[in-house]
Order: sequence, then structure tokens, then C-alpha cells
Amino acid sequence: MDAGLIPAELLQCAVVESRQVGAYRLISFVAPQIANLAHPGQFLMIRLAGSELDPLLPRPMGIHNVESDLVTMLIDPVGKGTARLAAAGIGDRVSVLGPLGMGFRLEGDAPAVLVGGGIGISPLKLLARALAAGGREVRCLLGFRTRKEAVATELFSGVRIDVITEDGSIGRLGLVSDPLPGCLAREPGKPAPEIFACGPSPMLAAIARIARECGNLAQVSVESHMACGIGSCQGCVIRGAGGYLRVCSDGPVFDVEDISWQ
Amino acid sequence: MLAADKALEEDLFVSFPFAAYIPKTVTLKPRAGNPPPRLQETAAGLLNSIGLANHGIEAFIRDDLPRLEPMPVPVIASIAGERTEDYGRCAAMLDSRAEVAALELNVSCPNVELDGRALGLDPEKTRQATVLARQATSKFLIVKLTPNVTDIVEIAAAAVDGGADCVSLINTVHGMALDRFSLKPVLGHVTGGLSGPAIKPVALRAVFLVSRELDVPVIGMGGVTTAQDALEFMAAGATAVAVGTASFRDPLVAAAMASELGRLIKEHGIGSAGELIGVAH
Ligand SMILES: Cc1cc2nc3c(=O)[nH]c(=O)nc-3n(C[C@H](O)[C@H](O)[C@H](O)COP(=O)(O)O)c2cc1C
Ligand code: FES
Repeated sequence: MDAGLIPAELLQCAVVESRQVGAYRLISFVAPQIANLAHPGQFLMIRLAGSELDPLLPRPMGIHNVESDLVTMLIDPVGKGTARLAAAGIGDRVSVLGPLGMGFRLEGDAPAVLVGGGIGISPLKLLARALAAGGREVRCLLGFRTRKEAVATELFSGVRIDVITEDGSIGRLGLVSDPLPGCLAREPGKPAPEIFACGPSPMLAAIARIARECGNLAQVSVESHMACGIGSCQGCVIRGAGGYLRVCSDGPVFDVEDISWQ
Repeated sequence: MLAADKALEEDLFVSFPFAAYIPKTVTLKPRAGNPPPRLQETAAGLLNSIGLANHGIEAFIRDDLPRLEPMPVPVIASIAGERTEDYGRCAAMLDSRAEVAALELNVSCPNVELDGRALGLDPEKTRQATVLARQATSKFLIVKLTPNVTDIVEIAAAAVDGGADCVSLINTVHGMALDRFSLKPVLGHVTGGLSGPAIKPVALRAVFLVSRELDVPVIGMGGVTTAQDALEFMAAGATAVAVGTASFRDPLVAAAMASELGRLIKEHGIGSAGELIGVAH
């Protein structure tokens, strides 16, 4: 084990908020050390505290928001580990390592187009706030399967959003990437819009294609199974343009052209 | 974790978590590793197919060793080869390095195909690799064994016959997982190695059998997650205990384990860690 790399921010924190937001679970805990350090697009390795061995490992979870001492995550309970975390109630303790990874780069003054698919909307909240605070124009395309998942758009009050659903039960019918090309034209006197995206890999591949065709910069946040979360085990790699990339420490946010999209 | 040191052996639990440090295995040539996905959690276990991704022994010596030099504990370099000669060459390259306290020959990685078989599946190849490393270095030599064999005692005996000072066991257990929807293998390499609590009984048996038959110290690992696990591994015959997967679960687990182990040993009315070793025999 990489004993020299044990980070300082390994905490046990109390859950103080746990509520359903449509299909997702929103969970907040008190962690001033993490709230202070968190940068949009970074993640946590988190599990319920205790001796339970199944699920065994912490799960990587994007940071949805920070508000003074509070850190908030949004969970889609798709597997054993995420379902267990989503069942955490107020007063339960979580074991958290973070914040981890390289988040979104915020420099520049191009208008920002944020694209989120499903639970991939999670990190866009903190990102939208940070970009807006830096004086950038921000709009969000948020795509979901059905209106049940789309309830989560309520978390984006105060941001310009367009909602797209695959069944058309709310918002525009189709895929979240459909309206993207129409948002990418360069306006006079401004740089071409920059894309920031998080979501399932077919969605990110579509965005990579659109970004290339339209000539816009794009940063994408990708997912992978993880063990260490700190770059030492080499377990979380994806194919990059020039070899394997570690999602936990080289990412999870990458420039779109650094990833191999085959 | 350095088993040869008598003082450490007597008082193992006090310095247990930071007694030694083993960086990830290095090979003669750089290796990109296996195609992703490389990780899948299973019931109380972790499947991995990393495939010894590393930047090669030259880069390890040039870039990593100077960084490791200030470590407060001995560094044990882990080396693996694609053929037996690689072990001799790697050992020779590390022999003069003061930063390296001991060498571990990883003959057991299930994720690299060496003519289709891990070298550690074959007693004669294990012996040869150990002999070549032994001729190349006077450093303390550990051989790390795979449980994926019919008779692990035979392989351990071959390593000791070849000059090993100590054996370390176990490496991961062959396994695989299918995607629950597509029913295709999850791992890019198709099969992988299982670690974590799920393999503890397999590891405990191996430690028990090898330490009962052979006269060298045994480093026990495989699913060690709690102080009780460490206690049992030592009772089964391990002189030192190593923690892998459980550190992913809780990076500070070894520290908690060490202090608790001291308490457990006392509770059992055993005088010292040294007296605990092998009480199950
Ligand atoms: C992600 C991962 C990477 C590993 N890499 C190595 C390695 O490079 N060299 C080695 O000798 N063993 C390696 N192992 C095996 C462990 O050192 C250990 O033998 C095995 O995982 C059983 O112990 P555990 O259940 O405490 O993890 C690796 C295990 C895992 C899970
Ligand atoms: S999870 Fe270990 S390197 Fe990324």
C-alpha cells in the first residue's frame, strides 16, 4: 500500500440531510475541511461507517454542492454500494476521503454550456455557481430518461436550464445532445462557447463528436470503478489518446481530445 | 512487516502498520497493463486485472527510489519477470541500492501471461528464479506465492531450496465476474484476481500449511481486514501480516488494527506477538 500517500482529509461525518429528489437521493453531511477545499468536478470516496463487509469499498461520488460547512451528494441507487449509501438516514455516519481528483478548469471567459445526463447533472450545480461567480454566462442542458429523474432540475433554480427527456414526458423529447449544436455558435465579440459535460459514456462520445465538428472546447467528467481513489492502484484507467489515463488522479475531468472515443 | 528482524518479531504489533513498505511490483521493461475495465467489486471481495502496470525498473530506480529514501520504514522492492532470468537481472540492479531493505520476488501475479502460466505455478521455475536472484544479491529475499496451485507447500519448498529467506502468501485467487445485464465478462482481461475478506479462508489455510512444513518466516496476507484477522493469521503461523484491499476500504485501518491486536493478544493470555506465531499448529 502507498503508505506515504495517506491524505489528511479522511473523516467520519454525520449525515444531516437525506431526502428524495425524484429518482435520486440527496444526502448532506458536515465536513468543513472538505467544504473549504472542494473544487467543482472533484469527488469523494465515501461509504457508510461501520464494519459491514458487503459492500466492501467506498464508492466514488461527485460533489454536488457545498454550502458553508455542508457537503452535498446526489445518489442514483443503481448498485449495491450506491443503494446502501442512498439509504443513509439523518444521524448516520459516513467515512469520507476527499476531495479527490482534478476538477473542471474554470479559467477563460467564454460562455459556458453545461450538459448533464441523468445523475451526471450532479457536479454541474457547483460548477454553474463557480462559473457564474467568475462572471461567465452559463446555460444548462439537462437530460433524463423520464420526468421522474427530471424532478432533479429543481436543484438548479437560478440557472438557465433546458430540460430534455427520452420519453418526452417533460421538456423536449430526445437526447440531451440533440439541442447542443444549436448552443455552440459564436456570438459577435465573444469567444466560442465552451462545453462542460458529465453523464453516461455514449452521451459523452456524442458530445465529443459534436465538439469536434463545431470546433468548440469541451471538458468532460467520466466515471470508472475505483479502489484507491488516489492514483496508486492503476485500477480505474480508461483509454486515452496517448495511453491509459487514471480517472481518479489524472481526471475525472479531461479535455475531450485527451480521451480515446473508439 | 520485515520478518527477519528478531526485535520486530518480538514486538510486531507495536510497529505493525508502518513496519515496512512495499511499493507496487516493477518489471524489467515498462508495462502498460491490461485493457480496462480492471476492477469489479464482488461479495466481500475485489476482482482486479491491473496486469502489473508499471514504468519499469530503470524508472523505478531513477525516479521512485530517491523519493522513497526518506521513508521512516524499510522499503521492500517487489519485482516480477516474464522469464526466470529477469529476476536475476532485476535483483542485480537493486543490490547496490541502500534504499532497498529487502527484495520480494512476485512470481504469482495472475494477470500477466508468461507463456500462459504464472511462473509461480511451477516449482522448478520458482526455484530457478529464486536461485538467480539469490546469486545476484545478498539482500533479504522474500518470494511471494500464488494460491492458484495444487500444492502450495511444494512451491514454497522450491523457493526456500532456491535460497529464499522468507515466503509471502497469498497473492490473489483466480476469478471472474459477468455483467448482470449483458452476461459477458466485466473485466477487459476477462479473468482477474480476487482479494479481500472473501479469500481469507483460502489464505489462512495456505499460511497454516506452509508455516507448519517449512522453517522460514511467513508473511501472511489475503483478506486481512480486522485485528481479529491478523491475530488468526499469526496463530496460523505468520510472523508478519500484510494488508492490501482493506486499506482501500479504510486507509488508516492498519493503525487501528495494530493497537487492537496488542489488546487481543493480552486478552488471550499470550505473552508476546512472538509466542502467538503458530499456536494453531
Ligand atoms: C488492485 C490490486 C493490485 C495489486 N498489485 C499487486 C502487485 O503489484 N504485486 C503483488 O505482489 N501483489 C499485488 N496485489 C495482491 C496483493 O498484494 C495481495 O496479495 C492480495 O490482494 C491479497 O491480500 P488482500 O486481500 O489484503 O488484498 C494487488 C492486489 C490488488 C487488489
Ligand atoms: S482508483 Fe486506484 S489509481 Fe485510480
